[in-house]
Amino acid sequence: MEYYFLEGIEYWKYYIMLLYYRFIELSPEIQVVSIFTTICVITFIFLVIGNIHHNNKKVRRNRGIQRLDEKYKAKIIEIAQRTDLMDLNDITEELDIPKNYRMKEKTTSRIIPILITVHRTYKDKIFRPNWERILQAFKIPPYFEMLMRSRNMGKRIKALMQIADMDADLKEAVASRYLFAKDKKMRMNARLHVARFGTSYPFKALEEDANLEFTEEMMVKYHNILVYRNANNLSMPNLIRWCNRTPVNEELRIFAVNEIRLFKRYDDCPELLEMLRNCRDEGFACALIKALGELEYIPAEGEFRHRYANASFAERQALADALGAINSGNPEVVNYLVYDYRESTDYISKMKALKVLYNYGRRGKDAFNMLKAEAGDEEKPLFTHIENKLLDSRKYA
Amino acid sequence: MPEWFQTFFNYAVIFYSAFLIASYIAMVLLAYKEHKKHRTYHYEKHVIDQMRTSPYTPGVSIVAPAYNEEKTIINNVNSLLSLDYPDYEVVIVNDGSKDDTLKLLIDNFQLVKVPYAYVEKIKTKPVKGVYMTTSDNPVFKRLTVVDKENGGTKADASNAGVNIVSNKYFVCTDVDCIIDKYALYRVAWPTMTSTRKVIAVSASMRMSNGCDVRNGQMIEPKPPHTPIPLFQDLEYARSYLVGKQALSAINAMQNVSGGFGFFDTEIVIKAGGYDGDSFAEDMDMLARMIRYMCDSGEDYRVVQIPEICCWTEGPGNVKVLSRQRTRWGRGLLQFFIVHRDMVFNRTYRQYGMVTLPYILIFEMLAPVIEFLGYISIIWLFLSGGINYHTVWLVFLALYSFAQMLTMIIISFDIYSDNSFKKRSSYRWFMLASLLEPIMYHPLNVFFSLRGYVKHLIGAQMVWGNMTRKGFQQPVPGTEGAEGATEGAEGAAPAEESAAEEISE
Repeated sequence: MEYYFLEGIEYWKYYIMLLYYRFIELSPEIQVVSIFTTICVITFIFLVIGNIHHNNKKVRRNRGIQRLDEKYKAKIIEIAQRTDLMDLNDITEELDIPKNYRMKEKTTSRIIPILITVHRTYKDKIFRPNWERILQAFKIPPYFEMLMRSRNMGKRIKALMQIADMDADLKEAVASRYLFAKDKKMRMNARLHVARFGTSYPFKALEEDANLEFTEEMMVKYHNILVYRNANNLSMPNLIRWCNRTPVNEELRIFAVNEIRLFKRYDDCPELLEMLRNCRDEGFACALIKALGELEYIPAEGEFRHRYANASFAERQALADALGAINSGNPEVVNYLVYDYRESTDYISKMKALKVLYNYGRRGKDAFNMLKAEAGDEEKPLFTHIENKLLDSRKYA
Repeated sequence: MPEWFQTFFNYAVIFYSAFLIASYIAMVLLAYKEHKKHRTYHYEKHVIDQMRTSPYTPGVSIVAPAYNEEKTIINNVNSLLSLDYPDYEVVIVNDGSKDDTLKLLIDNFQLVKVPYAYVEKIKTKPVKGVYMTTSDNPVFKRLTVVDKENGGTKADASNAGVNIVSNKYFVCTDVDCIIDKYALYRVAWPTMTSTRKVIAVSASMRMSNGCDVRNGQMIEPKPPHTPIPLFQDLEYARSYLVGKQALSAINAMQNVSGGFGFFDTEIVIKAGGYDGDSFAEDMDMLARMIRYMCDSGEDYRVVQIPEICCWTEGPGNVKVLSRQRTRWGRGLLQFFIVHRDMVFNRTYRQYGMVTLPYILIFEMLAPVIEFLGYISIIWLFLSGGINYHTVWLVFLALYSFAQMLTMIIISFDIYSDNSFKKRSSYRWFMLASLLEPIMYHPLNVFFSLRGYVKHLIGAQMVWGNMTRKGFQQPVPGTEGAEGATEGAEGAAPAEESAAEEISE
């Protein structure tokens, strides 16, 4: 008998064929189960290797950040807080970055968390021109520009958020190509970037979007941007025009009214009052009433009282709060609040009216006492609640 | 056994298992999509920065019922008061404790009884008083304590808390849960990003057994080193990272945990609050909220977030586990009897057409089918009907699938940055995964069946005490002091409801 010794590829071929012929001899059920088990085992091994790789990568990155933190953080904090304007070369020298040194992408990505932490911690103490030069020294703006050209949308979105977090004044052009992107989040973040750093009229994309969905997230972010622009004397949007000219989105109109209230734009009150006169929408009306109340616009009192008959529960509560905020001492307001208390059928409305009366000077307190004397057993607890000082600060809903 | 029955049973089991495995694979893919979306769009530090100073950040109330918690109450309340969020209040409901829980609260936080105009929006046992602080400490001003007569269930106490909350949203938790410092930002954020009304948000929960806890804050999450909590930790990870995350992707969430759930106050009140008679009160609550939204034709979202926001102490031994799982089993059956009209009902959208049928087939019927499986294996073994050439291969296939699923969960955990500080801690998960099908799963099958039987024969259910170890905390101004305080008990323990078991 002659024996053949298989070598190289022939050897592997033999065993693969053997496995194949053994496999096709099996019943279909066993074949399915075998394939299924093999897939599970391969996936398992693949995941184990992936997790180990991910873990090692993360450990290396953290170690790298730690090293950079020890090397640069103290110097960055010191330079950023100096009030004397420093030259870019001086900063580079102080940070010990060699001239014409081409910083690696990896190093830049690792320095970013440190810069964000410094900015977050020393936000109010940072001298902005020096801060901008620190970012230039670390080549942060070109790095972000490169990220904004990336095909990975997640990277682009994260880059825009990081730019906002470290206040890296990057040209609005880097984001303007995404102002009308298909992805909602990408579009929103690009618009936020332009709104923050734009120079001419950065809110154009927001105003022109007919299908705008203005969420509370956007309210939070746009408010912070307006605060930033206001503090840096950058151009502000015409909020009253947003109230008037954007009927496509009710939320944006409400946001604009709220911003007028928060930025205390007293000059816009007459127009807000005019809008309230023609307003039929409950949410928008409540925002207008709250704004006029907090801005203490006394001429609105008449409209408030006039509005009561056709107002919803929420509006009536807002009216009572607004009259309390104006606190003009008008006797007609006291009569109105007494009427409101008597007409209200729910406890929250009654409480709101009583609270305003209690704090509405001598006349209000007299009316409060009169109502207290009239009150039955069920309503008595409302009065004792209002009179208690500990409960004064607590919201009641 | 007749041959036709044997053939039918064989095919039924094969189709059932194949369908179950297919649903797992679908859920893993959906969960992966959801995790990826979350990672792409969510950047937590940025969110916290934005929300911290904004006037648009919604107020949140934390409702935490307490019953006979004198050993841990002060530390736990201090922990709840030290969360990071710009606008929140803590409402502790003393559910008629027989020990010094209320007295300790009054003494420590300088509380006095106030004439609060309590309006019973949801019916509860009578409220004896509301307490607020006289201290100038602004942190204490966040605290309100409601003292009420014992209602026998956590649901009744939670309802009393809901009646008093003053914010648009509230978190329902247990006084002994450890809540992550930034948890409120995490759960409030989805309500702000969605264009649809978010009525509830569920966050991931884990076992606190074995973790390093100091000053009521989680210092280092560690896997439990005792078998029952370890199995449960793995079960929770599987449920939250795969099951709930996948169902959240299609807006078909089955349950928001009773241990840590974020709700829209108005909708909860309109839906009638928690049902005191239910043994699965959290699952029942969500079902009634969804029923309310669908019946009134409103659009809604229920969201699951992957981040861990809460750690809870799990049952430490088989006895407590048995009580917990029997109650869950009973609660599940009771739930389907009460809400049977919602199953396969298109009015209730994904919840009626996907979630409830899924739970019914793979959750409620699973113990029954598994039990029949055990019996048939024993019968086949005795009658010599087992094909030993193939049985080991089928066993190997299912076992390797279970191990692969565990590895996917570990990967999701690492991907969501929830991971343990030491990656080697995952060895414990792997160990639990190897032993779970033999040691833990059969127990759960038995306990669930016992729950069904108890409900069917109408046996009286006692909530029972769950012995909690708790976490001792240092006296303010001193260092560290960690360790266990024996004997803290909670009569209405905060275990998850039956629905937590989904997709396990």
